[in-house]
Amino acid sequence: MILWLRRNLFRSIWDSITTIVFGGIALWFIWISIEFVFITGRWEIVEVNLKLFLVGRFPEELMWLIGASMVAIAFWVAAVAGGSPLGTEPRLRLAERIVDYVRRFGLIFALAILLVVLSNSLDSLLWVGLLGIGVFAGRVVGRMRRDNKIIQKLPGIIWQPMIATPAIALVIFTLLESTLELWGGFLINFYMALISIILCFPLGLLLALGRRSSFPVIRFICTAYIELIRGAPLFVLLLLAGVALEFFIPPTISPDAVFRGITVFTLFTAAYLAEIVRGGLQGIPSGQIEAGKALGLSTVKINSLITLPQALRSVIPAQIGQFISLFKDTTLAGVALNLFDVMTVGKVITKQDDFLGQGLIYESLIFVGLLFWVVSYVMSKESQRLEKRLGVGIR
Amino acid sequence: MSESVFTDATKMSGDRKAEDAIVVMRGVVKKFKDFVALKQIDFAVGRQEVVVVIGPSGSGKSTLIRCINRLEEHDQGEIIVDGTELTMDVKNIQEIRKETGMVFQSFNLFPHLTVLDNISLAPRQVRGMPKAEAEELSRELLERVKIPEQADKFPAQLSGGQQQRVAIARSLAMKPKVMLFDEPTSALDPEMINEVLDSIKQLASEGMTMVVVTHEMGFAREVADRVVFMADGEIVEVGTPTELFDSPKEPRTQKFLAQIL
Repeated sequence: MILWLRRNLFRSIWDSITTIVFGGIALWFIWISIEFVFITGRWEIVEVNLKLFLVGRFPEELMWLIGASMVAIAFWVAAVAGGSPLGTEPRLRLAERIVDYVRRFGLIFALAILLVVLSNSLDSLLWVGLLGIGVFAGRVVGRMRRDNKIIQKLPGIIWQPMIATPAIALVIFTLLESTLELWGGFLINFYMALISIILCFPLGLLLALGRRSSFPVIRFICTAYIELIRGAPLFVLLLLAGVALEFFIPPTISPDAVFRGITVFTLFTAAYLAEIVRGGLQGIPSGQIEAGKALGLSTVKINSLITLPQALRSVIPAQIGQFISLFKDTTLAGVALNLFDVMTVGKVITKQDDFLGQGLIYESLIFVGLLFWVVSYVMSKESQRLEKRLGVGIR
Repeated sequence: MSESVFTDATKMSGDRKAEDAIVVMRGVVKKFKDFVALKQIDFAVGRQEVVVVIGPSGSGKSTLIRCINRLEEHDQGEIIVDGTELTMDVKNIQEIRKETGMVFQSFNLFPHLTVLDNISLAPRQVRGMPKAEAEELSRELLERVKIPEQADKFPAQLSGGQQQRVAIARSLAMKPKVMLFDEPTSALDPEMINEVLDSIKQLASEGMTMVVVTHEMGFAREVADRVVFMADGEIVEVGTPTELFDSPKEPRTQKFLAQIL
């Protein structure tokens, strides 16, 4: 210990000085943070407005729908993840596995506990429990898909919709039961990001392939689209979507701001995704495409069976990075499209009668930041794990 | 008009007649920008004939066989494979690619698929063969190239020689009528060359029609019905291995053979 200190922190006089100076600064910041979080911070603003933060003005009596949707989404994600092929890493013992899970999902779990405590209600505990059950059920189903010979025979085109159906049905049902204007808070950010991610993926792939097409017209259209979208600031596009969609569709069916947001995020992220995927495609040696041609495979099959599976694998980190940035950018929609998203909530609650003029914007914004950080961090960690598992750079 | 016919490369070995040809090239020209890679090539390959193409690098021998399955598009002349002419028509191109197998210098296996999946992919996707049948076929072919135990490995786990034999099995899985080999041993370590050549020799002895571009002169002498010598985009000289290696007529052939032997 002493030896380690001497070797790494106090090797020379200069080392010692820098260690002391920067150590002091670090300690100071840590102290300020701790003081703020536990002593001076007035977190009742978050506690009182927790529901606004999470779901906005969503009607209390329909809250079960949101809970159920979340459980269904958790089930879906867990089923997809649980069905992934076995990695090459050795099988862990139970204790090691628990440590592994805590390391991977401890943050989410801690956030869940924090929210339950803040909400002061037993209902929320129940929902956390149900979420856990959803994840567990998803895992079991995913495993069955992987290990059970009969279920394996189901083609992916039937299987994938099957596990996604509960989630999609519940989200649509929620939409039908409540008007979109009532949605708000983190819920909007989460759904906008989730739906945009799902929609932009196929569009991005098509654009990437189109940009490499041998037909000049297709190539030109895709290139023009990508460069046009990438050249424009997202915020401007969102503002434009607030007013300009009327140019293209009749004002009578003027879509809700959430849909405008989703449209812009989908189109925007697809352009970036296309460039990421194109990068991956360029990394595939041309000899493989030639081998595919020589075997008589059509262009579509060469893309879907040979180049894309490899290209997508190699760009997983960049893809997830793009999705994380999309997720965080949903806060821009609150300002640009007047949505009652989590960011807007964070700002308006400081103007409530109880809290007006008390400078509570720090507490409010830190809570918003925490929500995003936890989700983004876990996504990023999981993408690294996925990358390792699929053996990028090994095969 | 054709300056290239020093010897007639359309005349096939043995007593094969013109109608026995499976690959016919007439007046084929291929240009890369300003560089003329093939100058008025007339060439034919008969059924069950083994033709070995030799020549210095840059002589157009790879381009020649890559034109046969349309990995390169020729600019002039006509190429007919098994009665189908190569045109812009995608259907014709697909048809010809189904009937021709190709083995590359750099193997070009699909790294994300197991050996078994590499081989069974094309029969399933192109010929619509059921999975079980395609896998059985793949195992038989692996048996033929003498690496049945490698079926479930990934290409990167195999040696170069093993990879190239998988590549041969992969081409054979489409049951091609012609096999094209583009310097199949040039990327291999010396000790692995023979295992690949043995597989090719075995294929020749089973009566497969083959066009082989190679620098392995011993192999050429042993299996070729006809040896074609190319230089500067032209077919300079054609003959049986004995004729061409032991008594070459053209000065360019003599010079090339003197350099490598």
